[in-house]
Amino acid sequence: MASYVAFCDSKGKPLLSRRYKDDVSQPAVELFQHLLLEKEQESSITPPCFHHNGIHYMYVQYSDIYVLALTRSVSVNITTMFAFLHKLINVVEEYVKRVEEESIRDNYIIIYEILDEMMDKGIPQVTETKMLKQYITQKSFKLTRSAKKQKNVARPPTELTNSVSWRPEGIKYKKNEAFLDVIESINMLMTQQGQVLRSEILGTVRVRSRLSGMPDLKLGLNDKGIFTTNDSKDDSPEPVISEKKKNSNIELEDLKFHQCVRLSKFENEKIITFIPPDGEFDLMTYRLSTPIKPLIWCDVKVQVHAGSRIEIHCRAKAQIKKKSVANNVEILIPVPEDADTPSFKYSRGNMKWVPEKNAILWKFSSFQGGKEYSMAAHFGLPSVSDAEPPKLKRPVQIKFQIPYFTTSGIQVRYLKIEEPQLQYNSYPWVRYITQSGDDYTIRL
Amino acid sequence: MSESKVFYKYKAHEIRGELVADSGKTKGNLRRKTCLRKIIANLIMGNYHEMSQLFVDVVQVWNVETDLEIKRMCHQYVCTLAPTKPDQLKLVLPLILQDLRLNSEELCIIALRTLTSINDPSYSQEGFQHIKKIIMSTSKTSVPLRKAAIHSIIKIDQIDHDKALELYYFLLDMLDYGKEEPTILIAAVTVLEQFHVRNPEMQQLQVSQNICLNLLELVGKINEWDTANLFDIMTTAYTPKTHSEAHHLIDISIPKLHDLNSAVVLNTLKFIVYLTNYVDYIEEKLVRKFSGSLTALLNKPLEIQFLVLRNVILLLLSRDSPLIHLEPSNFFAEYTDPTYIKDTKLEILYLLANEENISQILDELRGQATDIDDIQMSKKSIRAIGNLAVKYPHSSRYSVDVLLELLEFGVDYIVQEVISMLKNILRKYPNQFNFVVPLLPQYIDSIQDVESKCAMIWIITNHSKELKDPLDVLRQYSNNFMSESLEVQLLLVNSAVKFFCREQSKETEQLCLKLLSNATENNDNPDLRDNAYMYWRLLSLVGNPSEPLFNNDVARDILNGELPVIEISTRLDPSVREELELNIGSILSVYLKPVSQVFRGVRPKQLPESSILNHEKSSLSIIAGSASSNSTGNLSNLDGTRRSASPVKKMVDFDKPAETVNQLKDRRKSSISLSATKLVRKPSMLARKLSMRKPFQ
Repeated sequence: MASYVAFCDSKGKPLLSRRYKDDVSQPAVELFQHLLLEKEQESSITPPCFHHNGIHYMYVQYSDIYVLALTRSVSVNITTMFAFLHKLINVVEEYVKRVEEESIRDNYIIIYEILDEMMDKGIPQVTETKMLKQYITQKSFKLTRSAKKQKNVARPPTELTNSVSWRPEGIKYKKNEAFLDVIESINMLMTQQGQVLRSEILGTVRVRSRLSGMPDLKLGLNDKGIFTTNDSKDDSPEPVISEKKKNSNIELEDLKFHQCVRLSKFENEKIITFIPPDGEFDLMTYRLSTPIKPLIWCDVKVQVHAGSRIEIHCRAKAQIKKKSVANNVEILIPVPEDADTPSFKYSRGNMKWVPEKNAILWKFSSFQGGKEYSMAAHFGLPSVSDAEPPKLKRPVQIKFQIPYFTTSGIQVRYLKIEEPQLQYNSYPWVRYITQSGDDYTIRL
Repeated sequence: MSESKVFYKYKAHEIRGELVADSGKTKGNLRRKTCLRKIIANLIMGNYHEMSQLFVDVVQVWNVETDLEIKRMCHQYVCTLAPTKPDQLKLVLPLILQDLRLNSEELCIIALRTLTSINDPSYSQEGFQHIKKIIMSTSKTSVPLRKAAIHSIIKIDQIDHDKALELYYFLLDMLDYGKEEPTILIAAVTVLEQFHVRNPEMQQLQVSQNICLNLLELVGKINEWDTANLFDIMTTAYTPKTHSEAHHLIDISIPKLHDLNSAVVLNTLKFIVYLTNYVDYIEEKLVRKFSGSLTALLNKPLEIQFLVLRNVILLLLSRDSPLIHLEPSNFFAEYTDPTYIKDTKLEILYLLANEENISQILDELRGQATDIDDIQMSKKSIRAIGNLAVKYPHSSRYSVDVLLELLEFGVDYIVQEVISMLKNILRKYPNQFNFVVPLLPQYIDSIQDVESKCAMIWIITNHSKELKDPLDVLRQYSNNFMSESLEVQLLLVNSAVKFFCREQSKETEQLCLKLLSNATENNDNPDLRDNAYMYWRLLSLVGNPSEPLFNNDVARDILNGELPVIEISTRLDPSVREELELNIGSILSVYLKPVSQVFRGVRPKQLPESSILNHEKSSLSIIAGSASSNSTGNLSNLDGTRRSASPVKKMVDFDKPAETVNQLKDRRKSSISLSATKLVRKPSMLARKLSMRKPFQ
């Protein structure tokens, strides 16, 4: 139950705020910027929520703004609040493309409308963009098509009374298509010696549906949890065979589904069925923490000669199938802040010094599987001998994308689309990609 | 219409001219729209004074316009400025009522919201009438409007509780009947719960089995926020009557742990954890589900990650056999993590440590301890290493090695923390790590803060045999005796007397006399003075021929009184755990403190009493599956470590790893300085302790 939701600028000054309950007053919102400053000075740990004068401030940071929720009640569910604020940002983003100070100022009326519709008396309501568009009358520059619908405003929309709260009725497309993207992000934490401290695969199945009517979709994956339920009974007497089966069927841990998926059906029968919302959404996410070999491995050696120079040698290797190619590979290696006069030697790619990040960036537009390249960099260091040798605590960061390939081996077996009334032909499309996650790093 | 002009501070007359000017129908509409936009923008910028002068003009526009957007802005205007214009509110009321009668659902909702958000008796009177009408008329009215009306009841309750009660019973009937639209039912139960939260004289909301099952059946038909809300409310709102019923409720809730929305996941988790208080056993599958879904949430945006981490701490602390089994490597700090995340991860690592994974965790902590970017984190990791050494005897050797390695770093703050920690380790394992002691005196110049100074003095005094010239260090400190802080002074006096009793030589006598006379003659602090006089009297008793029994040995025994063993316990008091468990995902889970400590006058949540409530959590076994053996196996060991010593206090500063060092019993205060300072701070305690103290024998 939020009493206030406010958008604030990078200093915490409110840009606009919507009041839902009258137990918190406007000055409390204005106070946020001062409190924020105070907390930051007090300690280096500023958690995303604090309280002052009996009022709880919960905020999330996004680009150059803060989105803030205020409440007086202790029993408020802060998880819901944070989840809601992030959802709010997503929704606003769909309307105004980029959520930042300027776009908020420019679109304040529409944001007021969004705030009005998404929350009532501090309780989150409808948050699906497609559903919201039924209610939001205001035009933003992205919202040209709904001009027609504006005439129907007086008619009470019946959509909320449906059992499907995320999809309006009467959607029509000339060509019925569903696009399925399987995206796997790899997070890895490695030591310089090549020991993998942590590795995980974060998968997302993203659907872009352009389908008419109320289609019912059924997704088949080669996941063990989903597929081997039928033959699990036969598994026990013939353990040898079942082991072979395991190789082709992988097990996905920690599945999370969009609200449109019938969870009880999944729990009982291990079938993923759903009526999709219109447009793009994340159907499911999964996580696998099976140990994996680094896909792109860098052997980095740093030699510091205090007071004179620093030498960095790096060998990069793509440990993927020979047929596969990694695109947009970027290797970011930290160098000391006071390093100067760089000189590089490298066999392939493109290399440059990025002084603002205190690092060197080694880039490849494509990197074939099994290949190995090396480089050597040389920097001068100021001769003033500091007592402390420059120690590089920042990690080496690696970015890459590998198309047509999933590390986990997950595959879409089928996507059945059925619309009971319209009975149209539809076209499912599937793409796979593996990429580096936010934390694909080698500790130095 | 350029937007830049909209966000500009206008004077009232500048806008008024445009607002009232009459120029054609369509053009006027557009112009008025622009004007109102300017007004709202000015309100956002806080230009209340100028804009409030336009009240009458806005009302006029409102009267003639039918455009929804203009109406909406008018409502917005009135809501914002209502408190400043109490006398003109009468003007607006008929307009709002008129909007309510119009056949536009959206306008009705806006009007209803305006009606209930203005604090004025005539408004709330009308509001009540309309809400009643809308709620009671089941068929014609649209669902969103009815939902808005139900939510508005909370507002009525703030003004007139008795009136609202009438609707309260109506909502209760509605839930019992259960034939309404799902989203309406959820709105109803939300409002009911608010009723109970708002009114302290009402008990916690309790619903019947029928209502509970009705509502849980809706899951799947309602949207994600409603689902999250429902699970939140049902925690404590329904008490299962039998074990099998509780199991059934758990089974139907489990699928929702797979939701993409983190609010739904955490609230479902909370509901299930609540239900485990009413079951006779916990399935091992549940532990796996919990752990899996929590780990998956760690990839959400930072703020949510933070919450999940806090709740992981809560779950780890709350049960003797934790409901979750997590892999420590998930909590290794990333370079890009903000400090509040790193900090919480560190705490989890500390809690997750056990004899098997400790070396892995120690390696990670060592890495974080040398993080020169963040001194606070670095100190905290060293503390965690030290505490782990005390907590796990088998791996203490490795912990000490890590600490010594850090010591070689030679950075001041690291050295200080390491020495503070080594003191505890030396105390816990008296003869195991004596080789450490000779390494320490060389760092004496790095030691600045009080705690590590005390630790150094303590180590030197109690391990003087390992050192070549222990008195030398002591002499260095005693030269600055007057400028030291009280804790250091007290400890210096104590250790000088100890040295003297141990070995009566010229040197020790000289040192002892110097400190005692400094403490009694040149010092203003009564505690230090009393302390010094006490030692002085003790020493003079030894030399006194009229007390033949009181010889040097007796004095030494008194001074070297046995110290209690250091124990580190992370268990919380059962009532605190219980309350925290009921607050998974709420604000309290961030502070990890019971509500009474953070916010006064708020009623803490309680587990509803039931014949099947498990009072003793440790007797609850986790069954099925082979992996369960380690979780149940822990039970027996843990019993020994549970402490009764006020566990609530442990969590006061939640940014430090939870720990307790046993306090000395009241008669042997002399040998440790810390207890003396505790007395200084708490006069009430002092009084109590004094009255309990037995007379000298």
